[in-house]
Amino acid sequence: MTAPEQRRQPLAPGLDLGPGLTPAPASGLGPVLDRAPSPAPAVPPAPGTASPRGGADPVKVLMRRHRDLCAHAVDPLEIAAGLEAHGVTDRTAARFRHRDVFSLAEEMYARVARDAEPVPYPRRADQPRAGIGPFLLAPLPGALCAAGLAGLRLTDGRARLAVAAAAVLAVALAVRAVLRRGPLATGRGRPPGDRAPGTRAWTCWLLGYAVLGDGLLDAAVGGGPDGLPDGTATGPWPLAAAPVLALALGCVPALCAAHLFAVRARRRLTTSRGLDEFAASARPLLLGLFALFLGALAALLAGCGAVLREPADQAQVLSLGALLLLARLLTVHGFPHVPAVALGTAALAEAAAQASVFAGRLPGCDALAVPVDTVVAAWGPGGVPALVCSAAALALLAHATHNLSRASAHAGTEPQP
Amino acid sequence: MRIGLVTESGYPYVSGDAGLWCERLVRGLTQHEFDLYALSRTRQQEDEGWRPLPRHVGRVRTAPLWTAGEEDRAGYGRRARRRFAECYGELAAALTARNDADLGDPARPTGPDAEADRFGRALYGLAELARDEGGLAGALRSDTAVRALERACRAPGAQRAARQARVPDLLAVATRLERALRPLSLDWHEEDGLGAADLCHTTVGGTAALPGLLARHFCDVPLLVTEYGVPLRSHYLASRATGAAPAVRALLAAFHGALAAEVYQRAALVTHGNAHARRWQERCGADRARLRTVHPGMDAAPFTEVGEAPQAAAPDTLVWVGRVEPAKDLVSLLHAFARVHTARPGARLRIVGSASGPDGAAYLAHCKAVAAQLFPDEAAGPHTAGENPVSFEETGGPEAPTPADAYAAASVIVLSSVVEGFPLGLVEAMLCGRATVSTDVGAVVEVVGGTGLVVPPRNPQALAEACATLLGDPERRARLGAAARARALELFTVEQNTAAFHGLYLEIVARSPVRRVVLDRAGEPLPFAAPAEAHVAGRWTGPPAAATPRTARGGPAWAATSLTRSAGSEAAR
Repeated sequence: MTAPEQRRQPLAPGLDLGPGLTPAPASGLGPVLDRAPSPAPAVPPAPGTASPRGGADPVKVLMRRHRDLCAHAVDPLEIAAGLEAHGVTDRTAARFRHRDVFSLAEEMYARVARDAEPVPYPRRADQPRAGIGPFLLAPLPGALCAAGLAGLRLTDGRARLAVAAAAVLAVALAVRAVLRRGPLATGRGRPPGDRAPGTRAWTCWLLGYAVLGDGLLDAAVGGGPDGLPDGTATGPWPLAAAPVLALALGCVPALCAAHLFAVRARRRLTTSRGLDEFAASARPLLLGLFALFLGALAALLAGCGAVLREPADQAQVLSLGALLLLARLLTVHGFPHVPAVALGTAALAEAAAQASVFAGRLPGCDALAVPVDTVVAAWGPGGVPALVCSAAALALLAHATHNLSRASAHAGTEPQP
Repeated sequence: MRIGLVTESGYPYVSGDAGLWCERLVRGLTQHEFDLYALSRTRQQEDEGWRPLPRHVGRVRTAPLWTAGEEDRAGYGRRARRRFAECYGELAAALTARNDADLGDPARPTGPDAEADRFGRALYGLAELARDEGGLAGALRSDTAVRALERACRAPGAQRAARQARVPDLLAVATRLERALRPLSLDWHEEDGLGAADLCHTTVGGTAALPGLLARHFCDVPLLVTEYGVPLRSHYLASRATGAAPAVRALLAAFHGALAAEVYQRAALVTHGNAHARRWQERCGADRARLRTVHPGMDAAPFTEVGEAPQAAAPDTLVWVGRVEPAKDLVSLLHAFARVHTARPGARLRIVGSASGPDGAAYLAHCKAVAAQLFPDEAAGPHTAGENPVSFEETGGPEAPTPADAYAAASVIVLSSVVEGFPLGLVEAMLCGRATVSTDVGAVVEVVGGTGLVVPPRNPQALAEACATLLGDPERRARLGAAARARALELFTVEQNTAAFHGLYLEIVARSPVRRVVLDRAGEPLPFAAPAEAHVAGRWTGPPAAATPRTARGGPAWAATSLTRSAGSEAAR
């Protein structure tokens, strides 16, 4: 510790230049310039020498000079680090009658802690910045879907097939763009590739079933189908346009719900005093936004049904929309595995329902078709996906109310270097 | 000997902070085998690749610290979760506990020790959990972790700043702790990694010392910690700059303090580059008996020619060499030179260096303005063009292509900083055999010893007097210059640095040999598996055989980039 001091004496007599220097005649000097950009002066004059501001308490002067450092320090070592960064050394500390910078910093810390109440830390909710882009993109899938449906009605034969393919591709790309950025995007600061596998495939299957599944099931129960889908609602394998249009348009309320959830949850995170309090306030928020989304989707569905003049099965579309929204919310907030399982189970259940009807036609296997037949007889062909999806959605809802109301789901991820 | 060298954002990456001295160390100690374990800080660093490795580097394993961990946060089963909650709760309790005195203050016999024990237990508990179950990264960000933090902050006896922690603070702390504890998830400390080394040498302290700490804990591999910076101090300065909430800073400071204390306590030896770093280490609880000073080494060869030709110096020339930034206080130097110039009208000042960053550029412009105002151009006669006695030159410019050329032209070399760590420029000046005048900051006094003049910082008058004294006394200048060169050659050369570490290696291994029982196929102890020759200095088996590609096992997915290469593949390249 004192080695440097000991080494100071020998060999170089010029070393003892200290505060007691005699001033040199300063004649012929140019204009005295200010020392503006040099770092903040750290060291007041030594207590022994005449000092205009020093007074009797040099440490107080030092504290005033480093007011910010002292006020925000969390322990003495932080003050010591800050002082050293400003050039205070042990030899400087000796002028304050301290052994080293650490003990000087300790005195400063103790005096600040006694003098002042802790400075309240200014809290601001760092809102997730969505930008306007995702909200401008959100109506795009709905618009493209509507255009595609119009194209299907206007064209015929081979052209209709091309239009259908183009429409599916365009809507898929638009949905992908919506999910890429903004509140529905995964991977804010997380690697994009690391998500549960199969989610996308199961989602596509569920949507495909919403378009074609009911028609197929209806035809199959009646002994059909007698031909491939021809893109109309009246053919041998009818196509349900209203659900898919409503779901595509539903991107807008889904985006709004996710955005509102993220923003409000972040705000409550800032204001709540404890984790339990946050959970208690986040749960009704989630449920309320979920209900709002369902309401919006129901309204959209009714509108679509009226425009397309096609009766739409409310329960089926609502449960599917709820399932997809919850799955996306969970994935976005870092819980991708359970949604993948739920989506996969729902898709497999729907496939099994279809398969059981066809299997029932085999000799001796009549019993296989009985459950599905019963359901279709009671609620129509839409009953099967409605049952399946609502069961999955309920399971996901329970999972989401448990997990998304935790604070750790809303931890802001720091930008990676 | 087989040495596991753990680096963080350093060797073998091209753009490492501390790459140079590690490289010199590895290349200087060819009698040992080195295994490199490198943690990288940024993607850019990984992309830029490695330096060429010498033959005796056996294997290189790398792991990035900058990638995000696994996505899933619900990975653990009930029992593992309970175990995690226990360990993390212990860790959180150790961090939030009130420690009015400091971590390593010997005056407090019970409190800090108990806390340090608790911290260490929690740390090793988490490491064991990571070894047994994996998926630690997800758990560290999970709700269990945040709840444990909240409980510790609300517990009676928690420090004041922790009690004010709000929910966002808890989340921030959990996130930062997860980042800091990422090395716990690595499988480096196992039997085929650091566990097989005779000695683990960690080239930086802080979180990068975690693999070494685990190897020490699980496999009893002695640990040598080298800290040329002060990680705790850097943490304080960095966390102030982020402007995080006080609770976050308090908890993280407690974590880094406790980690430093644990590292110092477990390390066989701890080295530092100067007395300033040593004070911090002592402050954080390092045992004085296990602290060693190893000065940074400089390559003396470029300065030999200049150093042996002291007569080449231009008369009456002061030279300042360095990176221009406000902490160098060039304005003070200019004011001092104004006085020198008054006393000795022929004196000249050359400022050699380029600005670093926008701050530095602004400061350089300001200094030029000050110089232009202080010193009018001077001409030798009525018919010649004038010239300013102060010249600003770029490093590597035509006047001074190398630093040695810049030093060569100097009668006296000046250092006017107000803040300085280890002044490498001053060492270079000393190697050049030039008399120096420097301000009393950082490790300057320790470096200069008695071979140069030292004045208080921010004191242009004292600086001017010292410079004027030396300029007027060529004999003393020569004497001081020769003494400075002798001192630098003795203390601050690469050879000295390498030899010091070699000595430390031998000292550690002599004191704490790894007694590893080698088992045969049947699980019986194998007699004479480690013959006495194994402890002989130098290589006794010849170079290692062939490259054996090896994949990481058991580690998390983000550590899967580890790879193994041996001297054979290096030779093939």
